[in-house]
Amino acid sequence: VLRELFRRIHYLLNRRKFDAELAEELAFHREMSEKSGGVPVGNALRHREDAREAWGFMWLDRLGQDLRYAFRAMRSSPGFTTAAVLVLSIGIGATVAAFSAFNMTMLHPLPVRDPDSLLRFKRDSTASSSTEVPYPAVVFYAEHTRTLSAVLAQTSASLSLEGRDASVAALFVTTNFFDDLGGMPAQGRLLTQLDARPDAPAVVVLGYPFWASHFGSNPSVVGTAVRLNGKPVTIVGVAAPEFPGLSAEAPAFWAPIERHEYFVHGSEILTDFSGRLNSGVRMFGRLSPGSSPTIAEAELAALAAELRRQHPDDVWEGERLRSEPGADAQLLGATAAFAAVGSLALLILVVACGNLGSLLLARGATRQREIVLRSAIGAGTSRLIRQLFTESLALAMMGCGGGLLLGWIVLKGLMAWSGAPPWLDPTPDWRVVVFAIAIGFLSSVFFGLAPAMHVARQKPQRSTATLTRSILIGAQVASSWMLLIVSGLLVRAFDRAASTDPGFEYEHVVVVEPSLAAHGYKADRARTYIQDLNQRIRGIAGVEDVSVTPTPPLGGLKILSKLAIDGRPLVVYIHKVDPRYLATMKIPLLAGRNLIEGAEDAVIVSASLASRYWPGRDGLDQSIKIGEESLKVIGIAGNARSLAPGDTDAAELYRLARDSDFPDMAVIARTSGPSSGLVSPFTAVANEVDPGFKPRVHLLKDEFDSHVRDIEQSAVAVSLLGLIALAVSCLGVIGLVAYAVAARTKEIGIRLALGAGRIHVLKSLAGQLERTVLGGLVIGVVGAFVLAQLIRRELYGVSTIDPLAYLGAIVLFLFAIGLAGLWPARRALTVDPLVALRDERD
Amino acid sequence: MHKKDMPAGALVLLILRVLRGGPLHGYAIAQRIHTLSEDELRVEEGSLYPALQKILIKGWVTASWGTSETGRKVRFYKISKPGLKQLEAEASDYDRLNKAIQAILQKA
Repeated sequence: VLRELFRRIHYLLNRRKFDAELAEELAFHREMSEKSGGVPVGNALRHREDAREAWGFMWLDRLGQDLRYAFRAMRSSPGFTTAAVLVLSIGIGATVAAFSAFNMTMLHPLPVRDPDSLLRFKRDSTASSSTEVPYPAVVFYAEHTRTLSAVLAQTSASLSLEGRDASVAALFVTTNFFDDLGGMPAQGRLLTQLDARPDAPAVVVLGYPFWASHFGSNPSVVGTAVRLNGKPVTIVGVAAPEFPGLSAEAPAFWAPIERHEYFVHGSEILTDFSGRLNSGVRMFGRLSPGSSPTIAEAELAALAAELRRQHPDDVWEGERLRSEPGADAQLLGATAAFAAVGSLALLILVVACGNLGSLLLARGATRQREIVLRSAIGAGTSRLIRQLFTESLALAMMGCGGGLLLGWIVLKGLMAWSGAPPWLDPTPDWRVVVFAIAIGFLSSVFFGLAPAMHVARQKPQRSTATLTRSILIGAQVASSWMLLIVSGLLVRAFDRAASTDPGFEYEHVVVVEPSLAAHGYKADRARTYIQDLNQRIRGIAGVEDVSVTPTPPLGGLKILSKLAIDGRPLVVYIHKVDPRYLATMKIPLLAGRNLIEGAEDAVIVSASLASRYWPGRDGLDQSIKIGEESLKVIGIAGNARSLAPGDTDAAELYRLARDSDFPDMAVIARTSGPSSGLVSPFTAVANEVDPGFKPRVHLLKDEFDSHVRDIEQSAVAVSLLGLIALAVSCLGVIGLVAYAVAARTKEIGIRLALGAGRIHVLKSLAGQLERTVLGGLVIGVVGAFVLAQLIRRELYGVSTIDPLAYLGAIVLFLFAIGLAGLWPARRALTVDPLVALRDERD
Repeated sequence: MHKKDMPAGALVLLILRVLRGGPLHGYAIAQRIHTLSEDELRVEEGSLYPALQKILIKGWVTASWGTSETGRKVRFYKISKPGLKQLEAEASDYDRLNKAIQAILQKA
């Protein structure tokens, strides 16, 4: 069989020579048979072609012919070709951009040295699990392991930088971090093992974005000293922008974790084996050559058992370290988000294909003469379909090229706009190219095959033409409408988030987060600290009310509980507060009484929770079960979505914070005037309590604005997609109606001559589209509803049934489509019956 | 009997069979089949040459250029070892099929 293939290829390569031989042979045959008085049968050329068929590869010849023909046809109608390639490029470009983003963030490991041998370790036992490992345990593992050639650790912290109001993000890493991951400096040097020594001068490395934004990319800052958390440290270098680190964070400073207590006053991270004080670190390991994750896990489990003998209280029973790939980007980690973006992009592609399909169908009608001619000189139906489909394929491949280019530009633009990390590379790789070609091929099947089959069949069958056209237009209508509805929903969500009252005061609130746990504070000392801070903040001029809570509004800590209501889960956000909280945040108490110190089983619930949990009753004095505890409702508060501002379904529950919460406590203060000028007095006051560190002070308004901006960005992006889809659909409708008018000029002329009103003519033209558009709209509504569910998982506050969004979308859509249809239809009204009837075209 | 009536595989079988006697050129193959069938079978160029190309590709025959009896350059076909094997297999297949058909024709 293999030899046969070689022979075929040999024939293919020398086919000119073999063809000449064949011709010679056939000529001889004919001579001989004429000599003996025979009559030649059939066409010699045809015989030769039949014989050549035996060599295989005829399809290659035909493909070449078809492609040549296709390009000739394209050249002869440059307008159509340009429009088609452009529409396709938009459709393919959208999907390519979405796939590239997915490919870039999810399918590629972080660009560090040898990402495959890097593992991340998490603690696990039958009873507990934790994503972080206590630092001294990491050191123990690093000293004793033989299956790992290097052990890395990192932990994040926010530090105060002298001369800057807002705190800055720092990543503490082991000093082998840069070396092992192959990081390069942009300026100066990176961290080395020498920087870990307790007697070495304290040094930091700048993150590239921070160096650019805060130091104006000035190379002379290397070697200078700055004060971090009040401690002098020397900047020794700037990390290269291409270095991603092992998390999606882009820290302002990289600092040696071995010197953690120098930077963070009172830190016990280096000595605490328990990990109870939020003091774990992320642990990574580099597999030794010849080792495997399983072997490493087994070895570390044995080491953990050994460590448990030394620290029986701190290491769990049966503790082991579970490994997972260490350099997986998981940047956005959100598959649902990609699914949503991907389906939006696919919708654009469907619109583009539907559009092109109807264009091809219309164009096929004008090429009828050419088709008839080709079939008259011997082309079979299947050969014609193949020819027409090849043309579509050629278009699709050009669209592919355009799409790759457009997708790359769009992605690059989006990345610049959203401030994506510089080490993400949007340049298409082989996966993206293969994806683009596959998408191109699929689209050519979708937009090209049905029209090709219809056109090649020649005898125009009205029913199949109408059906094909209906499907193509219906798909367009449904997809663009879906996009419009979804963008409408997002715009509305943005509108709600930006304009409606979130139910709590955010304009005039300052939040002070001392992160006491990180500074080694235990509950008792923390309590004293917080009470002291509370008193001092009360003394600042302009402060009206102060409250302390471990769950500050819009903060990172969210405690959720799921209540089952009639079998349906209801997510409840649990606020741990003091009795001043509601007054400070200006959340109204609608019924009942406030919390009082000491009454720990009393809770206040939001009106939204009460109305859903006890419909028809007021909820007061009811009991509610959170976990194992049974609590009594003593008051009903107004709805205030302060932990999830976008989640309109959010239900809140307020209960007293405990003494054990003090190390995590934040202080929030409401001021009488604008809070923006108060950051520095707050910082000054906070610094007096413990001069060893500076608490993070920020304005609630800033957090709120950044949250609103997130929704705004998605609303803008999706609206853009929706408008593109609408524009493409309108183009399609213009082309289609123009074609319908042109094709029916004679009929219109006759109707007008027989006395039909111009309105009647218009109606008969519109009637063609009516049912298709309606069908598309119905499918669109259902699709939009499903898609909105998907988006809702990522962006709270998106309602799936917002009548205004649906209504707005339909009005905009019908208006645009109507306008697009009327414009070419005008020509039908200006048809002169005499001219139309004389028209000899058919 | 025309080419359309000849089963597709049968032509290959006949070509291989006449080539077993020694190398022949295309026209001679057609002539041989014609004479041996007592003028019943006429093989046209339109079916002969595609079949010859097919068995060339399959490797059942080899071709070499020589001079015809009339002094013209022409391609001679010679059956190869795989071709002989193929002939044997096809001949016995044909035999079985033929017997089966005969049996039905006589008994039914």
